[in-house]
Amino acid sequence: MTAQNQNRRAKRYGMSIDIDKCNGCGACMMACAVENNIPPLPEAANDRRGVTWIRVYKVDNHRPYPERRIAFVPVLCQQCGHDTPCVHVCPQQAVEVDPATGIVGQMPERCLGCRYCMVACPYHARYFNWWDPKWPAGMEKTLNPDVAPRMRGVVEKCNFCHGRWHAAQQKAAAAGKSEIDPADYVPACVEACPTGALRFGDLNDSSSQVAQDAERPESFRLLEKLGTEPKIHYRSQRGWVREIANAPRPEGKDEARG
Amino acid sequence: MTTTRRNLLKFVGGGAAGALLTPAPWRLITDTALWSENWPGIPRPARGEIRARFTHCTLCPAGCAVRARCVNGQPVSLTGVKPHPISHGALCPWGIAGHHLPYHPARVRQGPVKEALAAVARAMDQRSAGERVAVLDLRPGRTVSWTYRRAMAAIENGLYLAPRQPAYSIDLAAAETVVSFGAPLFDGWGTPGNVFAARGNFRLVQIEPVESRTAALADMWLPIRPGTETAMAAALGGETTIAEAARLTGVGEEAIGAVKEAAENGPAVVLAADPSSPLMSLNAKLRALGRTVVARREAPLPEAWKKAAPVTEMAAAPDGAIRVLLIDESLPGGYVPWQEIEPKLAANAVVVVFTSTTEGYARHARYVLPSPVYPEAAEDIGPAIDTVGEVFRIAAPLLAPVVPVVNPGEFVARIAGLPQSDPLRERADAIHQAGRGALLGYADGKSTPAKEVTADNFWKTLNQGGCWMDDTGKKAAPGKLEFIAAGEPPHDELPLMVVAAGGRRGGLAPPLMSKLERESNLRMAANRVALSPADARSNGIENGGRCLLETACGRLSVVATIDAGVPAGVVEVAAGPRIADLCGASPRARVVRA
Repeated sequence: MTAQNQNRRAKRYGMSIDIDKCNGCGACMMACAVENNIPPLPEAANDRRGVTWIRVYKVDNHRPYPERRIAFVPVLCQQCGHDTPCVHVCPQQAVEVDPATGIVGQMPERCLGCRYCMVACPYHARYFNWWDPKWPAGMEKTLNPDVAPRMRGVVEKCNFCHGRWHAAQQKAAAAGKSEIDPADYVPACVEACPTGALRFGDLNDSSSQVAQDAERPESFRLLEKLGTEPKIHYRSQRGWVREIANAPRPEGKDEARG
Repeated sequence: MTTTRRNLLKFVGGGAAGALLTPAPWRLITDTALWSENWPGIPRPARGEIRARFTHCTLCPAGCAVRARCVNGQPVSLTGVKPHPISHGALCPWGIAGHHLPYHPARVRQGPVKEALAAVARAMDQRSAGERVAVLDLRPGRTVSWTYRRAMAAIENGLYLAPRQPAYSIDLAAAETVVSFGAPLFDGWGTPGNVFAARGNFRLVQIEPVESRTAALADMWLPIRPGTETAMAAALGGETTIAEAARLTGVGEEAIGAVKEAAENGPAVVLAADPSSPLMSLNAKLRALGRTVVARREAPLPEAWKKAAPVTEMAAAPDGAIRVLLIDESLPGGYVPWQEIEPKLAANAVVVVFTSTTEGYARHARYVLPSPVYPEAAEDIGPAIDTVGEVFRIAAPLLAPVVPVVNPGEFVARIAGLPQSDPLRERADAIHQAGRGALLGYADGKSTPAKEVTADNFWKTLNQGGCWMDDTGKKAAPGKLEFIAAGEPPHDELPLMVVAAGGRRGGLAPPLMSKLERESNLRMAANRVALSPADARSNGIENGGRCLLETACGRLSVVATIDAGVPAGVVEVAAGPRIADLCGASPRARVVRA
């Protein structure tokens, strides 16, 4: 193995999310849908059957008004780095962890649609295509040529905009470089976030902003106790927000909007 | 060796068993599904030359700078432009999917253009001496607004109507304390990028009954009793005591005192959900005029345009006098409720609306004509409420209209007999001749003094998504603002205060907004309301159940959401034309089981 390849394998892409900055505008969700050719679904789609690779949840501290406080938590595939549950259960090898990037990739063309991975995922970050992808007449012209639309009956999820990673690789190769420029590879949601709540980078690079964010005392990960080593690091100065990261389904969830 | 049947079967069986130990069959199983990528019915994205083009978003007055990634000239994604000094690379969810709007299935695709022209001409000929021809411009401050004003000046008894526009701009960068009475500062107010860029410099106090997106991120949220904002403003302005305000608003004396002190000490600004609200006059008491609240400035105009009809508010128009009303609803803007318009119309009035949606005035107009949508039309965007200097930018079209459309400006100019011209070019020439300010080109990110650019290059750069800005002038105080201290009396029959959830705007919403509304419940859909558990219980309403939202003007069938974050006495709704028509001037309602 060359030193160059060793360097490549050392990448561990991750994200840091500042919940205290997220205003729940949904720009990340829209940018993700546009980038990854996720269609608007029929009227029958709801929050259970919708497809949103990144979904912003509105959470609260379960206190009555006016002590009640809310926060917005963007949840996407947590890119588990250890014992990745969806990889283990897939009978089709349709889910793989890329050793070069640490990205958990989903190959819809191999997927049978058994949905074991959805059951195994502790974060509910995988989505099943209940319907054929359909765009309003003419809107298919606006599809991103770098991402193939998926068919009905397969599971899909966030892959950190893998098409952008390929584009950055090609750009680097064309320039005769072995490493991509970090500025060339930014997922659509991070690029779209107007508040700067989302950051992306290599967690193995201690000089990167995202690696430094992960080391902050107010940083936490969702369901950290499961030991899956997610690569999405959240942070909040609010104690109640940090507490819900490890909580089971909150009481009163059925009454809350979202 | 003789080949027997047994040996042959053994060979085949052994071969099959042995093959299972090789990667070949597993490879076959996984890769047989490759054809599914070409499943019939799944569209294949077009491939071709990829280029970046620049424009400005017209979906709200912020006019954010946009970089469009185009494949064979067709925009496939929109992002912000980072070097832009106002929008700072930010786009809202509507703007991100704006390139889908031309293909919206609910878009108005055709209309009786010839019939409308003939009916307008006939009505203009037949009108009596006192009857008026009027244009209602929902987005005043654009170049086409001046076309309307010139056209109405050219027509006898012409009337240019527009919603009230604030005569001021807010300089957020100069404020250390922002006291917001329900202004959705982080959810659609002003220019999102500008607000977030200034966020680190000011302390935000959000005063509103519901914990909105803005309240959630505010430094201090004061959950005020619905309808008592004026009492709070009176205390902050020193007109009443803090104790009295605390009693009326339900907010603690200590909190009100802290806000009052912060507002009095530093450069502060008071914002209201409605920019023309009397609450804004509190700025005068806080010495904000000329510092954080400054006079609104408009880019230079051609001299010949200054002979134009004045801006008239709908309330000032004479009753029963408008014989022809032309409504420009091509861009989402300040919606004037229909019950304010209806009394102003003559008995046989001709109402023509230029729109892309059937949600707004199309429900009331006799002729509905399809207008271009973003990003099909070349339009300029007036300054946003948080733009301090003069600015001129054009939404350069990214694609040709996909349906036959009518340009509202050309229609109005035609009926007024104005000579054919290109008003945008005339305006650009006037700005260039003024020789002030600088021209920012996004393609190269360079800012060049306007006087160093030729008129043709100035125009060319603007059409390539450039932006002219001049923020060198002295900041001036706006005119006097009125303060009305009277609160709304309680209404027994309509016990709930209607509060609009921020963010939603009129006009078509991109089809992908279903991700934020129906598919995730992140934003309130147009047909939903949110109630407190107590109010829902007392009216027998269940979560997700259908109910009727009743006001003094009518009723609307909606779906209820029970939300513990909504205080008793409040019904939260998604703002939009239907709700505006339903509520009119009085935001009181009740919700009953359907």
